[in-house]
Amino acid sequence: MVDQDNQLSTGRRTSAGDTAATSRGARRPTRMERREGRMGYLLIAPTTALLTVFYLWPVVQTIGYSFTNWNSATGSLGGIVGIQNFRTLLDDQEFTRALLTTGIYIIFVVPATMTIGLVLAALLAQPFRGRGIYRALLFVPYIAPIVGSALIFTYILSPLGGIVNGVLTSLGVAPVGFLATEPWALVSVIVFSSWQGVGYAMVIYAAGLSGIPPSYYEAARIDGASAWRRFFSISVPLVAPTTAFLAVTGVISALQVFTQVYVLTQGGPLGSTETLLYYIYKQGFVYFHGGLASAAAVILLIIGIGISIIQLRFINRSDAVELE
Amino acid sequence: MNQVMNTPPIRRRHMSGEALRRHLVPVVARHAVLIVASVLFFGPFLWMLLTSFKSSAEALAFPPTFLPQTWRFSNFVDVFRVAPFGRYYLNSAIVATTTTAGQVLTSLAAGFAFARLRFRGREVIFVILLAALLVPFEVVFTPLISLISSLGWMNTYQGLIVPNIPSILGTFLFRQFFANFPREIEDASRIDGAGVWRRLWLVMAPMASPMIGSFAVLSFVYNWNNFFFQFLVVTQPLYFTVPVGLTQLQSTNAATGFNLLMAGSTLAVVPVFVVFLIFQKQIASALAGGLR
Repeated sequence: MVDQDNQLSTGRRTSAGDTAATSRGARRPTRMERREGRMGYLLIAPTTALLTVFYLWPVVQTIGYSFTNWNSATGSLGGIVGIQNFRTLLDDQEFTRALLTTGIYIIFVVPATMTIGLVLAALLAQPFRGRGIYRALLFVPYIAPIVGSALIFTYILSPLGGIVNGVLTSLGVAPVGFLATEPWALVSVIVFSSWQGVGYAMVIYAAGLSGIPPSYYEAARIDGASAWRRFFSISVPLVAPTTAFLAVTGVISALQVFTQVYVLTQGGPLGSTETLLYYIYKQGFVYFHGGLASAAAVILLIIGIGISIIQLRFINRSDAVELE
Repeated sequence: MNQVMNTPPIRRRHMSGEALRRHLVPVVARHAVLIVASVLFFGPFLWMLLTSFKSSAEALAFPPTFLPQTWRFSNFVDVFRVAPFGRYYLNSAIVATTTTAGQVLTSLAAGFAFARLRFRGREVIFVILLAALLVPFEVVFTPLISLISSLGWMNTYQGLIVPNIPSILGTFLFRQFFANFPREIEDASRIDGAGVWRRLWLVMAPMASPMIGSFAVLSFVYNWNNFFFQFLVVTQPLYFTVPVGLTQLQSTNAATGFNLLMAGSTLAVVPVFVVFLIFQKQIASALAGGLR
């Protein structure tokens, strides 16, 4: 899969395609290539046209609307208000709380998902009987529709007939309304999302671990390093690029969390599980404050782009994972 | 993937008690951790399936029963009676398959063009696409939905399908695939007089079929599971997809009917499980492929 020796010794991997592209770029295109090049516009047209209409244009609109009193139900612009929406947001306790909730969510979900994913991937790195079954069972939460699995959690965590409360009761603990009381509702959302995301981290880490030359482990074993030591001194540092990748994709997808919140708690109790996207949804589709929703979206956009830039910086520096 | 065994060959017959223990303890510990993890990660789905056959009283009973006292297959009939799940299935199937087909065709064509054809602005357009990949799609939904609404596409299949067809990730994956693909085969067919169009669909596309398979499976699962976008575009039950219909079932059925709710969840989850069981390898390789 990954040319690991090359990656480890020289750091910088160049794909064959890139090399070819550069050398082709050096010489002048033949007439045939120029004629065929025109077909290129036709072939990229569906993707680029649809992206422009349904993605890039809404991005531009979002930025534009964030300076207006746009009503997302009637479509009326309601006048240009400058940075008033951003001021309103910063004064809105619901918004700052959503920002904080999203931050707390990220701080717990991303590391939990990655740590458990790495441990499971490491346990499953070597072939043994039953490995395939474990892999499949552990991956299932990631592939299942979130609405379906979140519904299972509403049942499991229910104070009425839920198995978690059943166990607590038999231990002499009073039943807890996990999804309806603070701080348990946010804890439940965090536990659910971590549970749901582990499979992805596990698969990505499995790919990263499979790129580590077995000779490294062999040498460490001969030197008498324990399994524990081999994990922390070989596996963990050598999958660092994968860790960086997962951290960033994890944060970006956590910024967009919505479905599990909608199914598990509807943002409640008292807004304690309301995330950024949930806040934008409420402003845009419940109160129809399109301008305010757009301003909040712009803030989310800036955070997302900021993280992406950090990611690119980081990856360029570590020079190992190549997003190309 | 690497098939290298790290465990040194051990002949069990000649092992001393000490060596046997040293060999067995890690093996047992590993299985113990993995079994606990499997129960935590897969257990909820098993619980869902078992509950979907119980009576509503049994679903609430304490202490809970593991296997249903009587297997009530009629729960599934009831779910279809409470909500038009047949219609939801049809809608989800139409939306997921059409979107997937659209994503595969457009990304394949665009990826091929970006990798193999030379045209002015190619690099710039590609960089813009990559930049767009970094921005979460969900962020711009407010104007997007109002655009879909002004097109008259709310509660329509085209509204559910068309905006999701362009796939930057797909374009990116196919570009990479074609960029790393040996040029000789394509050159040979070019000499035979095949134009770009024929080369793409008759020569290159068949070569890319493993990549097409991986991407299509992943894309199908994503589109089947998608909730947020569909939830915003449809308001009429006639166009509800399975995830949207399921949240509707949740809000109308209230807490007493966990058995029916779990039957509904089972209906949503099972198609994905079937796809997963058949295409497990493709899904894993498509996910890991995004890295390279």
